[in-house]
Amino acid sequence: MHLRIHFNTDSMVFINRLLKINQELSFIKFKKEKLITFCMVLTQIAPSWFFGYDVILELLFAIISLVISIFAFKIYKKTSQNSIKIFGISFILISISYFIQSFLNFLIISKLTEKICIAVKIQSITSFNNFGILAHILAMTIGLSLLTYITLKQENLKLLWLLIIIPLSAILLNTNIIYMFYLIASILLIFIEIYFISNFLKNKQIKTLLVAIAFFFLLIGNLHFLISVNHQIFYAIGHILELFAYIFILTNFYLVLKNGKKKRAS
Amino acid sequence: MVRKRERLEIIHDILHAIQEKKGKSKPTHILYKSNLSHQMLSDYLAELIRKEFMIEVKDKKGNKMYELTDKAYNFLKDYQIIKGFVDSYGLD
Repeated sequence: MHLRIHFNTDSMVFINRLLKINQELSFIKFKKEKLITFCMVLTQIAPSWFFGYDVILELLFAIISLVISIFAFKIYKKTSQNSIKIFGISFILISISYFIQSFLNFLIISKLTEKICIAVKIQSITSFNNFGILAHILAMTIGLSLLTYITLKQENLKLLWLLIIIPLSAILLNTNIIYMFYLIASILLIFIEIYFISNFLKNKQIKTLLVAIAFFFLLIGNLHFLISVNHQIFYAIGHILELFAYIFILTNFYLVLKNGKKKRAS
Repeated sequence: MVRKRERLEIIHDILHAIQEKKGKSKPTHILYKSNLSHQMLSDYLAELIRKEFMIEVKDKKGNKMYELTDKAYNFLKDYQIIKGFVDSYGLD
């Protein structure tokens, strides 16, 4: 497969200087035998049969995360418990991250990126995609950092800032941003998963088990994205594993509501 | 061995104790029903007042009493759902 690379020099110089990017690689998917502008750090190659499905799946993940987040804020309003507020914020950031990812992938597939750049007078498609990708990475990393903070059960703002600044620095100052992003996300998810497993062992209920399994699938899915750099199929597998995770999260949410209303009625 | 209560459970027990007395109760009744030490109860009551779950009032004889707010009633009404959500993610 032959690729030709175009650069808009002004914006590229600025971004690349900032991010020390490897100019040969990009986050954007590409279709076979089609010329697409590249910039960023790492190519995430999707199998062609998966185009479109990833957009739908990411949108679904965004909606489910948003539902959980809104519910968490409703619970926070009733309890005034800080950990629940932080939980809500983390899920809303994760939701935003998925919305951005879905939107960017949709633009690529629908070839609307160029028209949007012209409409909002952005000089280059690469700049537009770069910022979108960075926003996706920022939102997801901060979301996962907040979740990790909750699991540590420490009410310490300095710790929270550390958990946000260190991963972001490691990601943004690396030459291989996407790879580092998935690596850091995996590490954070390991801590989160350990916590949910111990939560299940402490409180053996179907609900805690569902959450532990869900985050296990999220962790494994994330590890597949890490490998997907050089193996297309893992990109699709990663999405499918995330789908299982969000099905479990949604099932847990349904059970919480159903059991709560049943006990209220009795 | 008695299981250690989670924080939300303790708050529920306190608010439920007041609810049993038609939404207004003396501290001694709350202490008896919530099964807490005097110091712990004082800390929880201060927190619940700060978070607007209850207000401090005086009865006709000038004795201190605690009265539930709408927020407390909403909490009690949705307690099972709240507990289910908090337990499943270990947020307590």
